[in-house]
Amino acid sequence: MTISRRGFGLGLAALAAMAMPLRGQAAGDAGAQVMRQWYRLMLELVRHTPTYSPPVASRAFAYTGIIAHEVLRGGPGGGVTLAGQLNELLPLPERESGAVHDEAVLLNAALALAVKQFFANTGPTGQRAMQAMEKALTRQVETGVAPDVLRRSRDFAEAVVLHVSAWSGADRGAVVENLGFPETWELTPGPAHWVPTSTVAVQQKPLLPFWGNVRPFAMPEGNSCPLPPPPAYSEDPSSEFYKEAKEVYDTVNALTKEQRAIAAFWSDDPMLSSTPPGHWISIAMTELDLEAAPATRWAAVMARLGITLADAFIGCWHSKFEYDLVRPITYIQRVIDPKWQPILNTPPFPEYPSGHSTQSGAAAAVLDAVFGADHAFVDGTHLDDGIPERPFANFQAAAQEAGISRLYGGIHFRAAIERGLDQGACIGAHAVGLRIEA
Amino acid sequence: MNSAVIFAAILTALLLAAAAKGETADPAVPGFAEETATSGLDHTFSGEWTFMVGGGAAVFDCNGDLKPEVFLAGGTAPAQLFLNESQTGGALHFAAAESGLEIDQVSGAWPLDIDGDGITDLAVLRVGQDRLMRGLGDCRFEDASAAWGFDGLDLWSTAFAAMWEKGQSWPTLAVGSYIDRTQEAFPWGSCTPNHLYRPAAAGGYGAPIGLTPGFCALSILFTDWNRSGAPSLRVSNDREYYKGGQEQLWHFPPGAPPALYTPEEGWARLRIWGMGIAQTDVTGDGYPDYFLTSMADNKLQVLADPATGQPQFTDQAFKRGVTAHRPFIGDDKRPSTAWHAEFSDVNNDGRADLYIVKGNVWDMPDFAEKDPNNMLLQREDGTFLEAADLAGVASMAEGRGGAAVDLNADGLPDLISVNRNAPTQVWRNTGGAGMGHFLSLRLSQPQGNRDGIGAIIEIRAKDLPLQTHEVTVGGGHGGGNLGWQHFGIGAADSAEVRITWPDEGAGPWQTLAGDAFWRLAPQAEPQREAP
Repeated sequence: MTISRRGFGLGLAALAAMAMPLRGQAAGDAGAQVMRQWYRLMLELVRHTPTYSPPVASRAFAYTGIIAHEVLRGGPGGGVTLAGQLNELLPLPERESGAVHDEAVLLNAALALAVKQFFANTGPTGQRAMQAMEKALTRQVETGVAPDVLRRSRDFAEAVVLHVSAWSGADRGAVVENLGFPETWELTPGPAHWVPTSTVAVQQKPLLPFWGNVRPFAMPEGNSCPLPPPPAYSEDPSSEFYKEAKEVYDTVNALTKEQRAIAAFWSDDPMLSSTPPGHWISIAMTELDLEAAPATRWAAVMARLGITLADAFIGCWHSKFEYDLVRPITYIQRVIDPKWQPILNTPPFPEYPSGHSTQSGAAAAVLDAVFGADHAFVDGTHLDDGIPERPFANFQAAAQEAGISRLYGGIHFRAAIERGLDQGACIGAHAVGLRIEA
Repeated sequence: MNSAVIFAAILTALLLAAAAKGETADPAVPGFAEETATSGLDHTFSGEWTFMVGGGAAVFDCNGDLKPEVFLAGGTAPAQLFLNESQTGGALHFAAAESGLEIDQVSGAWPLDIDGDGITDLAVLRVGQDRLMRGLGDCRFEDASAAWGFDGLDLWSTAFAAMWEKGQSWPTLAVGSYIDRTQEAFPWGSCTPNHLYRPAAAGGYGAPIGLTPGFCALSILFTDWNRSGAPSLRVSNDREYYKGGQEQLWHFPPGAPPALYTPEEGWARLRIWGMGIAQTDVTGDGYPDYFLTSMADNKLQVLADPATGQPQFTDQAFKRGVTAHRPFIGDDKRPSTAWHAEFSDVNNDGRADLYIVKGNVWDMPDFAEKDPNNMLLQREDGTFLEAADLAGVASMAEGRGGAAVDLNADGLPDLISVNRNAPTQVWRNTGGAGMGHFLSLRLSQPQGNRDGIGAIIEIRAKDLPLQTHEVTVGGGHGGGNLGWQHFGIGAADSAEVRITWPDEGAGPWQTLAGDAFWRLAPQAEPQREAP
């Protein structure tokens, strides 16, 4: 079967897929469809729920992936529990021993509850879409299933979701107010440090300054993958700092068509895309579809990938607010050229390291382990937005391109990119080390 | 760069510098009395998903007494025309009238004289087929859609604008539309096209012309942004639903299909939750400025450099204090959701003020539930003072459309807020100490474009910056006003007025007495009218 990458973003294609008979196919296929459809909706909900900046989105992906894995692991082809492997995750409810469960039913029930839980603050259209999705998928997976199996499967799903929800509530990332911008914030004095870069009023404070204190998943602490300091701040043209700024300035002023395309492709703006973590989720979805993966593999991959994306933002944010470095636009306009403008909107938080680089490095480490280090792929995440797909020789190449895209976009210096990728590799190793598959 | 632009830039810099030193006095705050309960304006815009947007007021005089009537969209309830029975300068009184406008599924309406007969008609937008309602006189209307060849389509219509193209006696209409409402599970990316209706040679309208791509427009406005004499169509789009979209500006090259301004022509991509457009010249450079409502991120777009001829705008919302991005009173500090916006000089000091109607979309927890409307009063330095609470108009209802119009002919603009699933509110401007004098102007042409849509009004009053305002049909959220144009002239008891008529160029400067209503026509002496 040929899988269209565009299918992830089209409403009509989605509805057509939802209309496909799930029951009667192999159980794994039905479950895979359930995974695919709920994750498609999650990508839209991330885009259309204003609180879902990249760190917040990554957290939702992590918990949802863990729930999917934990409800399936006791069934055919299931894997190993993450309890005891992830920080503070206690043993989860087990299936009723010897009793029949329906894999598609419990997976759909669990994802319906999980999406409602982790996207509770989406708007009226998101709520309506969640209801429509649940109604359509429930009708399809539950038709013909014995009542006692239905009840047992739904009850187990609910127990798992409640357990994970309770665990998530204590991670210090559950409550995000004012779109993630604090009520008060004192800027660090001195020219080396971050100052607001836009005239958007809410962005006069940095986004989620305390996110580095959120409980990580697989890595022990928020600073388990620390970074060396960035190049020392200086306005001396012979300094490393100035040279890095000049590189951004010169590069942006002479961008090639290809460099512009790369900057746009990885821009992944919050509220205008599924954000950087959603981009990597989208990549994984395509590859899982192409290999016709069963639901258990879908769930294992989404758990491992979600975990590392969430850890990446925690680790990255820890470093960002440790160093609190000034953005290129601020430095270049002050020191080099007051009229200079980058081609991307500068994100409203400190520069070092690059978040996209850290999380792309982590995602590539996980996807290397899942699909293979030489796995070539084509990324069509943004086809619906009119941005052409791009081919990659492997995941590391994609991560490298995601990183350098931030320099082409004029929003990061080279050190933030290169060390962000290093940090991501370190964080990714923690997720790769998890025992998930049987 | 022309001299007006240089002057405006210098003036702005000086005034902003003065403000930084605390040298600018705050403007006088008018008093408002809420008369919702006693006014007889008893109506509610109701509905769920398909009426989470829309809900506007069309304000226009249909019985010739200078006191405008009010037509309110009803959503799932019938729309309603209210006759204005207010006494001049007195309390506001309205009476629901059977008018032929009791139509269901109405999202908004804009008044204009379509057939040039001197009687105001109404473009009624719906979730379903739109209608053109012909004014019959004495506030009676009939559906003329079929007679005028108007195909109202079957879309979720949300925005309207009109202009008279050169040589045409009938207006070109534009209708903006929203989501494909059949897309229940995945509505994102399903924005339907906007449409243009051009007059047919034989009268009425030809088939609608799709303005594609559509990006879920919630406000559109024909506006002469570069004072070229050829208006463009400004489209403010809701980024919640489009993919690959942005704000848009269409131009209409002679003899060629409509075309979008491109980056090569200077158009810069802007992506907001566009919901409403208000326009007037805030900066004093003679060019229209645009306030665009959104969620937590309202914009005041000012033409960067008119000399370039390029539609490049800078955002001055932050600098001038009109971001209005979160509730300014109350305990709910979540970001705001802004809908209708309108410039109107509510204290008659000769500087346009800004009225914004606010309200949560519909149980959207990321945004404020208790979201007060704004009344931003312009200071001498071009910055704005929030005074909605002091003025008594900081409604916490779930607002959508609105109007800032003088309803009782006393020279002070009153306010309407159309709320979703709650009664429409109305406030009478009671003025108070420090209110200035005013001019109320009604443009009138003998045929075709009777109300002078597209005209530019300029006013010079002693000790005040030049006021420039383009007369338009469109913008706002869900509705607009037609008729008397209100201007404050501060302490002056008269002012010089010049009209640049759409097809005749600039008329002479004429001195008009203040605190009066004047009917102006090309090549004719101003006629004073008594309220």
